[in-house]
Amino acid sequence: MSRALIVALREVRTYLQDKADLAFSLLLPIAIFALMYGAFGGESLFHGTAHVANEDHGGTYSALFLERLGELDNLDVELLSPSEADSKLDRSNLLMVVYIPKGFSDKLASGEPAQLVFKQRGNGGQEGQIVASLVRGVAEEMNQEFQVYSQVSNTLVGRDIPQESIEITTQKFLDRERENPIVRVREETVGSSPDPVNQFLPGIVTMFVLFAVTLSARAIVEERRKGTLERLLTTRLSVGQLFMGKFLASVSRGFVQTLILLVLAYMVFQLFTPLSFGASLVIALIFTAAGSAVGLVIASIARSEDGATWIAVFFTMVMVMLGGTFVEVPATISKVSINTYANNAFNTIIAQGGSLADLGLELGVLAGVAVVGLVLSRIFFRVMPGGK
Amino acid sequence: MAEAYLIAQELHKSFNEHKAVNGVSFTIYKSEIFGLLGPNGAGKTTTIRMLSTVLEPDRGDVTVGGHSIRHNADAVRNLIGVCPQELALYEDLSALDNMVFFGRMAGLNGKEARAQTMAHLGLMGLAERAKGKISKFSGGMKRRINLAIALMGHPELLFLDEPTVGIDPQSRNNIYESIEGLRDKGMTILYTTHYMEEANRLCDRVAIMDGGRIIAMDTPHELKSQIGPPEQVTLEDVFLKLTGRSLRD
Repeated sequence: MSRALIVALREVRTYLQDKADLAFSLLLPIAIFALMYGAFGGESLFHGTAHVANEDHGGTYSALFLERLGELDNLDVELLSPSEADSKLDRSNLLMVVYIPKGFSDKLASGEPAQLVFKQRGNGGQEGQIVASLVRGVAEEMNQEFQVYSQVSNTLVGRDIPQESIEITTQKFLDRERENPIVRVREETVGSSPDPVNQFLPGIVTMFVLFAVTLSARAIVEERRKGTLERLLTTRLSVGQLFMGKFLASVSRGFVQTLILLVLAYMVFQLFTPLSFGASLVIALIFTAAGSAVGLVIASIARSEDGATWIAVFFTMVMVMLGGTFVEVPATISKVSINTYANNAFNTIIAQGGSLADLGLELGVLAGVAVVGLVLSRIFFRVMPGGK
Repeated sequence: MAEAYLIAQELHKSFNEHKAVNGVSFTIYKSEIFGLLGPNGAGKTTTIRMLSTVLEPDRGDVTVGGHSIRHNADAVRNLIGVCPQELALYEDLSALDNMVFFGRMAGLNGKEARAQTMAHLGLMGLAERAKGKISKFSGGMKRRINLAIALMGHPELLFLDEPTVGIDPQSRNNIYESIEGLRDKGMTILYTTHYMEEANRLCDRVAIMDGGRIIAMDTPHELKSQIGPPEQVTLEDVFLKLTGRSLRD
């Protein structure tokens, strides 16, 4: 066993000394992660822009309305002139614009009802609908405040209390209410956040782990090409120890790369609890072992580096397709892919909030593939006629 | 009578229809340098690969130090060191790392492997280049490292498969001197080469192979005397007379 470890350490050392290979393999998970971040925006909550055309120039209440909109965390406000807003709507550059009509503040000040206008193309688009809903919420809040003002003012009529004092006192109570509302909303995430990253991360991780197949598939062929295989076969190193060393090196490399991906997902997307992160690492380790063992089976039969690479790439593609990583595949077919079991395992942990105890079948299959792959690679290995 | 250390009996090895080795038998005595000569494709390297347990013979057997390669290959591997014809080195590692690694594979612990590495690098005149990457070494330096690795673990029997091919005279001379030093220390060596002068200088006995068979085997002096006065005949004359002048692949 110690010789297998020495072989593994030598492999890792070679890997660390090849700066280009090292940079590529460590940057790859970061690049994939950056793509995910770009694709999914790194935001789990909605964030949009309210385009507002304000025709109530200098109005107190339109200014208050815009100030309230600006206080929303998930909404930016962009002011447009009415003509600019119309033009953009005409050209479909915008799908929804909020218009504050002329005399908006005057009407409110005189106790008359005032109206905001939402102009939209078609249904306003998904973002437009959400923005409209948020704007409507602010308008309703202001509406309620006006009702409170008018009721308080009506109640105090004829009591010699200055109007200004009524307004200040009422505003104080309303501000207190806004800061400490009687009815609060608490958000709880069950299992995981409803983030699209959840749906794609398992597939990306499993596809990424399969790179280990390609790496380990080249392991023996490289020794054949360098002539070092012949030399190794004349030492006390057994073929079994050689394969175990290659296996350990491949698992180490694949696991470190996957670890980077999972750590970034943990830190940026906050997908995991400490427990689910630990469970994901266990799955990644066992799946990397399965992938590495399959790679060694390819390595034991491949006769050239190109041959090994192509067989490994073909295998990876088939596993990804059948495993339903990106498209749905009938369950009976997807069972032949090791990706299915890894995807299911990651999904159980990441998307459904499960634990390792729920993954007996998946982890059993993956561990079985690792063991059978190692045994088969030893059985299939042959010294080629040239002693290679 | 010298002690027989390696006994090859009726070795046969075919690749598909091609008979690479066809009934080869010979004995190498302890502390002897035994040369295996022959044109390209004669079967020398296949023979060495069977003797060193890399390939299994189709028929026949070999005993090394009393251990059969068929029945106790592990014990045989404990006794041998192999310097393959092709450079068998990790180019992206240093000379030191290569030698320590193969030393560990030969059963040495880390401390022993490092000590032997420095000793063998000194023998090969490369002690100061220990930490240099193999990829930066010249052909001659790589050949010397290739040989030095075969010495790791102090094997009793050394297989040297054309260890001086394609190198400069200085490196070749360094290797000759190293091999002579090993003989003086009592190491048993099987040596293959295309250079007849080399065989004449180093080998106690030589076997000439052609077409997978041994066609002559004796001391260089006796072989030369078979075709003329030994002082006037070279081993190359003997070789060409026995194997012919037609070009080989």
